[in-house]
Amino acid sequence: MWRHTRMVILTALSAAIYAAVLIPFKGIPIIPGVTEPRPANVFPPVFGLMFGPAGAWGAAIGNTIGDIFGGTLGLGTLFGFVGNFYLGFIMYKMWGAVGLVSCRDATPNVNSWRKLAAYGLITITSSVACAVIIAWGLDLVGLVPFAFLAITISLNNSLIALVLGPPLLLVLYPRVKKMGLIWTDLMIPAEVGRGFARHLGAVLMVVGALGGLLAGLGVAIGVHGQQILKFATGNLRGAGTCLSVLPFLALMGVASFMLSGREQFTEE
Amino acid sequence: MDSEIYLDRNTAVHRLDPRTKIALMVFCFVVPAYYQNPLWVVPVAVLVLLHGLFSRSLGNLRRMRYLMIILGVSSFVLWNLFTKGETRLFGFVYQESLAFSVGRTIMMLTMIAAGMIFLSTTRNEEFVTGLIRLGLPYRVGFAISTALRMVPTIIGSVWMVVEAQKSRGHDLDAGGLVQRIRNHIPLLIPVFVSAMRNTHTFSMALESKAFGAHRTRTYWLDPRLKLADYVVLGLTLVLLAAATGLRIAGYGRIAGLKEF
Repeated sequence: MWRHTRMVILTALSAAIYAAVLIPFKGIPIIPGVTEPRPANVFPPVFGLMFGPAGAWGAAIGNTIGDIFGGTLGLGTLFGFVGNFYLGFIMYKMWGAVGLVSCRDATPNVNSWRKLAAYGLITITSSVACAVIIAWGLDLVGLVPFAFLAITISLNNSLIALVLGPPLLLVLYPRVKKMGLIWTDLMIPAEVGRGFARHLGAVLMVVGALGGLLAGLGVAIGVHGQQILKFATGNLRGAGTCLSVLPFLALMGVASFMLSGREQFTEE
Repeated sequence: MDSEIYLDRNTAVHRLDPRTKIALMVFCFVVPAYYQNPLWVVPVAVLVLLHGLFSRSLGNLRRMRYLMIILGVSSFVLWNLFTKGETRLFGFVYQESLAFSVGRTIMMLTMIAAGMIFLSTTRNEEFVTGLIRLGLPYRVGFAISTALRMVPTIIGSVWMVVEAQKSRGHDLDAGGLVQRIRNHIPLLIPVFVSAMRNTHTFSMALESKAFGAHRTRTYWLDPRLKLADYVVLGLTLVLLAAATGLRIAGYGRIAGLKEF
């Protein structure tokens, strides 16, 4: 991907737009220094679909820049980098693998009910995956309880992307396509990971994300006494929470290699 | 909003190697987060202010003044909700949580100031060269620095479109908070489309200058660590080691504070 000048610029552009919309809302924190209302979270799914890997790297870099300008740079930024990368990465990797998007027309748009359903499913998966990665990391280092943060980030990511993403995609896709900036127009299939058993990969990604959330919540609440959306309750750095989520994170890692994205290289 | 954050001044800080400036920024982001007690965070904040004063870049903080005020006030109030203590002062405010909220607020403002001072004293090209010298692939470094440079440009474009629409009578401030956000969304589309259109021009400009033509590159900028860099890096390392040691020894904590 980095070979293509336009993909490098699209990475910078995605990062800059994401950061530019993140920064003004840093002043209205949900948890100061950790998270805030993020209308900007509509961009990683949309950019991930349109710009592929450039959108994913853009989300990761943009979140870091947002943290720099917003005064929230810290240990959480490391997990935020990985989590936000997955927010864009899962979108383009899973798009053609969930079985809802036809191989004949895999264009990243929501101009049919099946594509809209695929968008919804993948957005929820990527939002939860991002939440599980960040919440797991911050609970591990003892900053924020898993039960609170995983739910907050999942809702924060998915609601805005589900509501604003489809209209934004409908407006932007034809223009971006006309400019020749869709990632499948810039890259060649040989540059994209081959993957294997991609449908199974998609299932494993969904199981990894949602399973990680449920297992983490179960242990954090049941064993460590944390409460959903409540502070100063339970124990942080709970070994149970970290260990119970770990296999699901590994599952997401394996699924990342199984998914490809090559199936989207179709003639329109 | 002026898109150029860098201030062209001939100060000792400006003349430092970009790697030294990156190390200084990392120090300013890491150490304030070590401590809960504001009395332990204040010395780092003072160091950052002195850094800004010597580099004559504190004026650039005006760009972030509204964000810093809002973030400062909200952080000060909200951290009291997120923490508890043993000595209740009034309502939900404990002596320990109040001290913690002051510390966290100073920490956040220090970090914002450190980021702005870094961007005010480091050219985009220097930052890229610094990242490459630290081992980052050129194109990744270029993407990061370009994104950093584009952020103020995009925010500036948004304001320009907003002002243009307001001058045509479009009432953006009508309704509640959600309605106001919805009023702004259609205005973002032309900004993004124009930014994406510029991607073409930018790419062509880069390729015409042989961007990516060869695997190995030569650089016009050839920063080298000088005596001043070694002195600053040495001092930074000593301070970092001392701060880490004090943190491990348990200093800078607030007794009786319960986070989350």
